[in-house]
Amino acid sequence: MDFLNRWSKKLGRKFEKGRTLYPFRALYDAIDTFLLTPATVTEGGSHIRDAVDMKRIMITVMIALFPPLLFGLWNIGYQHFLSQGIESTLFQCFWYGFLKWLPMVLVVYVVGLTIEIIFAQKRKHEVAEGFFVTGFIIPMIMPPELPLWILAIATAFSVLFAKEVFGGTGYNFLNPALVARAFVFFAYPSVISGDTVWIAEQADAVSGATALGLLMNGSVDSLPSIAEMCIGTIPGSIGETSKIAIALGACILLFTQVGSWRIMLSVIVGGLAMGSLFNVLGITPAMSIPAYEQLLMGGFLFGAVYMATDPVTATHTQSGKFIYGFLIGALAIVIRVLNKGYPEGMMLSILLMNIFAPLIDYAVIQQNIRRRKRRAARSLSTQNLKQ
Amino acid sequence: MELANIFVRSIFIDNMIFAYFLGMCSYLAVSKNVKTAFGLGVAVCFVLIITMPVNYLINKYLLQSGALKWISADWVNVDLSFLTLIIFIAVIAAIVQLLEMVIERFSVSLYQALGIFLPLIAVNCAILGGSLFMQEKNFPDVTHSFVYALGSGIGWMLAIVAFAAIRDRLKYSDIPKPLQGNGIAYIITGLMGIGFMAFLGI
Repeated sequence: MDFLNRWSKKLGRKFEKGRTLYPFRALYDAIDTFLLTPATVTEGGSHIRDAVDMKRIMITVMIALFPPLLFGLWNIGYQHFLSQGIESTLFQCFWYGFLKWLPMVLVVYVVGLTIEIIFAQKRKHEVAEGFFVTGFIIPMIMPPELPLWILAIATAFSVLFAKEVFGGTGYNFLNPALVARAFVFFAYPSVISGDTVWIAEQADAVSGATALGLLMNGSVDSLPSIAEMCIGTIPGSIGETSKIAIALGACILLFTQVGSWRIMLSVIVGGLAMGSLFNVLGITPAMSIPAYEQLLMGGFLFGAVYMATDPVTATHTQSGKFIYGFLIGALAIVIRVLNKGYPEGMMLSILLMNIFAPLIDYAVIQQNIRRRKRRAARSLSTQNLKQ
Repeated sequence: MELANIFVRSIFIDNMIFAYFLGMCSYLAVSKNVKTAFGLGVAVCFVLIITMPVNYLINKYLLQSGALKWISADWVNVDLSFLTLIIFIAVIAAIVQLLEMVIERFSVSLYQALGIFLPLIAVNCAILGGSLFMQEKNFPDVTHSFVYALGSGIGWMLAIVAFAAIRDRLKYSDIPKPLQGNGIAYIITGLMGIGFMAFLGI
């Protein structure tokens, strides 16, 4: 370890200002701080001492993403072999999924990190770790059969316009992974939904539509069973299918307090409340699906656990988080049930609430100020009475 | 049900700012803080819900082709629709004048905060645009036009208030020099438009 440290420092001198490798300083910096603890200390009057910095938080999120990822990789292979009618082993399924996933992840990281490093170099700031998580999530919410060039364009768009123009990690107001997905959704609508994208080269006999796709077509009877949706042996994007794996990830996030329990809880409550309301109305077949089943379909739970809890784009106030989460859950179900065009409401409802998060914060803070002013006025008047 | 449909559509889908880019000048200029933005939003909303039903009645009983037949049967062929634009503008200008006096009377601070933009509501394209869309849509009665006006107004207000809150948060962000100001404002508006597309198709 000591050897590595000394070697890295020696190498680092080549990247100092005026030396030949200076243009690649940001790249060196990113790798160096990723592997080793940076030597820089906080300047100025900040006195918080904590081992947790942004890199550790981001790595926790990535660890929490692993259960759905591993299951999702297996599931891609499983769905593929199922539709072909071929017997397969666990490892075969996994390997097939891994080979589908690897190019996506490579494309996302190469495109995203190139842009990040160029910006970091030009604007003289560090390469932030935010993109590690974003780049990890993007392949998990895209259909496995998405053409790679579309993936590259979407990633470039989201890194540039949702993040870097605002100054990079921590300053964006929309979740970059969601912007990437929404971009594909609106720019290439024929690619992201339909029967063919979720399973590669499928046979005619097996329907490859997702549960939400079926719902949209009005074929409620052929929905997968609850057990299947919980375990996740259904078509869908890599991250979203297995609810058990997502619950495992949620436990990690909650235990380490990286994800906000307020948001997760209120998203689920919001979804249940809206789902029950539609159950009572029950006009269309889509409305009469039990509320708890709505939660298990599509990316609802994945969005609730990994995307709504994004600390940058969510509301910053504690009570604002309840409002924010509740509206996400409720809106997701509304879009899903009422909007024939967009079966996946979760992504769009989180995006929409990202837009309103600053406004919710503002309202909560103003409310606080008013309450405290009233309290101050009251205590002042009682003091006056005593005197 | 139909009224609810018109209401939701006009807030989210046919949003004046994100779908038609109407009223952009005050949207960009008065969104520096949430309070003023809210004030302007309320003012626009108020002007819309007064002018649109009035314009609806004027259009239906005076301007439309054959609208004058309630006076006498001989006037069935009279078509005054070429006057639409100028009459709508006159009605809007008069009502804005009225509103200005009311706000000055009841809230001087809001009056000062809105400043020049209050009289400028008269030429806010969202207001005239609303009336013209209303004319195009051929609503069956005045309630529909009222609901449409309310929805458009609330949609415009939501957009400007949310935009102001976002700009407020971005005060501390590290936006590249060339993009500061209006540049980033247009990018934010575009990204907000993506979010609002969620309701397309309801």
